[in-house]
Amino acid sequence: MITAEWKPIEEMVGYLRGHKKVLVIGCATCVAECAAGGEREVETLAPLLAMAMQNDGNPIEVKSATLERQCEPEFLEAIAEAAAEADAIVSVACGIGMQLVAERYADTPLYPGVNTTSLSIREEPGLWTSRCAACGDCVLGFTFGLCPVARCAKSLQNGPCGGTRTNGMCEINQDTPCIWRLIVERATARGRLEDLTKVRPPKDWSNSPAGGPKRMLREDLRS
Amino acid sequence: MANNSTADFQPQITLLYCRQSLAAEVKPVQGNRAGNGFSVRLVLLPCSSKVQLPHLMRLLEQGSDGLQIAACPEKACQHLVGSNRAEKRIARGRELLEQVGMGAERLGLDRGAGLSLDDLMEMAGQRAEALRALGPNPMKGV
Ligand code: SF4
Ligand code: SF4
Repeated sequence: MITAEWKPIEEMVGYLRGHKKVLVIGCATCVAECAAGGEREVETLAPLLAMAMQNDGNPIEVKSATLERQCEPEFLEAIAEAAAEADAIVSVACGIGMQLVAERYADTPLYPGVNTTSLSIREEPGLWTSRCAACGDCVLGFTFGLCPVARCAKSLQNGPCGGTRTNGMCEINQDTPCIWRLIVERATARGRLEDLTKVRPPKDWSNSPAGGPKRMLREDLRS
Repeated sequence: MANNSTADFQPQITLLYCRQSLAAEVKPVQGNRAGNGFSVRLVLLPCSSKVQLPHLMRLLEQGSDGLQIAACPEKACQHLVGSNRAEKRIARGRELLEQVGMGAERLGLDRGAGLSLDDLMEMAGQRAEALRALGPNPMKGV
């Protein structure tokens, strides 16, 4: 799922000064799963923003709504009336959803209530960890199903770096397992350690976010 | 009209209590009661874990001066981890209330078993005292 985290409320207060009618919107999909932008979070944030703005000396009227998905145009129509009445929108969906709302309701300023942070799994209740960085040239086939782009602090393609802690954790973050240690362990368990010494074609980074905005075209699906 | 003078501030507390925390012979009560220097609205819950941040924040947005949760002792929760979940939520709620300038003391959780109505009133009174310095809820009458 795409994960996001609430921005500091102080930052949101800064955005909202000068506004009077604010619509807080969430998304019931990814950001609900990571407890940042689902209905529960929207209905927590909306009263908190009302209180924060009251204490800031800039009282606002706050309305709220949680859309099924904020990244699909059809679902945005549900807030047409509320968006027309609002003079600002705070979205706690991912950056994709936020931008679609900003485009659909272009006359109303949209402010981010979250930072979009990763493509992660929920590893345990209350803990999400990265699995993919949308690099555009997946190497999981060489790395025994463990991603060295998203899960190695240096995105090393031939690891480990030599800094792995004696307890197997990454030298950069002691709460994160060294993914290259796990890759080596899985290769060893399969009796395929030698595979990691094979020369691989260079990874094509031009299809990654660093290669510029993505435009994916499928002629067979176009009308 | 909101009472904005701290000197004669009579905090309005909403006390949400777990049914299981009451003594067996005590009949659950709901509704408003007057305490000494505060008033309280009693709300019965089937388990303290039923408290969710959206409800708590709405109660404060609507002007309640403070919220007190009465939960069972850690090992006595009928749902095993219900009261622990409630406790963690309350801790997060307190952090958020501090961030928005409302003050963490507007929300609290205490545990107890075999409670009487007087015990609940005492808990509410302690919440009223803990938040007295914060003054009335600025959302009152908004
Ligand atoms: S190699 Fe690239 S596409 Fe594959 S999981 Fe890692 S970041 Fe995602
Ligand atoms: S310790 Fe492992 S995960 Fe951390 S930077 Fe080095 S190779 Fe990457």
